[in-house]
Amino acid sequence: MGEATSSEVTQVAAATSSQEPDVGLAAVAALRGLVEVLEALQVENARAKGWSWQQIAAKLGVTKQAVHHKYAGRRFGFRR
Amino acid sequence: MVQRSEPARRVIELAREEAARFGHRYVGPEHLVLGVLRDGSSGAAQMLQVRGVDLEAARAALGRLADRGLVPGPRPSDAELLGSLGIDLEAIRRSTEQAFGGKAVGWAIREATRARRRGVGRVPRTPLCDPPLLATQATYLASQQAKTLGVGVVGPELLLLGVVKDIQTPWPRCMNNPWVRQLHASVGPPEGYRGAAGPLLGLLGVDPDELGAALVAELGATVP
Repeated sequence: MGEATSSEVTQVAAATSSQEPDVGLAAVAALRGLVEVLEALQVENARAKGWSWQQIAAKLGVTKQAVHHKYAGRRFGFRR
Repeated sequence: MVQRSEPARRVIELAREEAARFGHRYVGPEHLVLGVLRDGSSGAAQMLQVRGVDLEAARAALGRLADRGLVPGPRPSDAELLGSLGIDLEAIRRSTEQAFGGKAVGWAIREATRARRRGVGRVPRTPLCDPPLLATQATYLASQQAKTLGVGVVGPELLLLGVVKDIQTPWPRCMNNPWVRQLHASVGPPEGYRGAAGPLLGLLGVDPDELGAALVAELGATVP
């Protein structure tokens, strides 16, 4: 049967944690998705508060070119 | 795009619940069929019941499809995966929405998942999204049929008709690009997945052509 209650699935996830590549890699992918959202949120917030690309890049630990390449040219500010 | 009626939205909501019940992290046409059956009150559900299909039989059939490998088996949700790393997804969702507002979070999700220059840091989906609706071809065909038949709003009957048309129509090339393939790979339907509603109706002994003709006849009767 393809059915499974959510508690069963939780047990699978907990029991195999990161030992099982299938679960471990999926967990990492989920984490990366979360990081990308949080990064976009924080960069947008910093730009709205008047931070320069240089300052944002220093905090993120990347070059200013990198953060500019990734985030400049986007329609920043859903508020505007 | 023709608007969906309240019952149709409820059907899609129930389809999401059915998908979660099977541990599927996407909503496909096969789940829409289950959603129609679970709603039960619509003409579409009666059309299926007349043909001897009930919710339990449909669930059992979908389980058999999972055994055959046409739909994936259960897999942990993003919240459970992150929980195994010790991260509370709901807490993050709550705190970010409190700090930045729901609108800003929605915008950030769109930014993270949309195609950007040279694909820097682009992800197919994020844990903060709902499970993706992989039945958009069916919903699109439903609204096409609504226009053809002159119905102003897409109800459960038209959704079911859309699913039937989806079985009969090959998916267009725009549904086979790297972006869609990446999304499919991340939520787990097998390679070359084109919706499992056809095999599901086949197992239940319903002929899609005949069901489609009956639905068109019923819809045509309601419209002057």
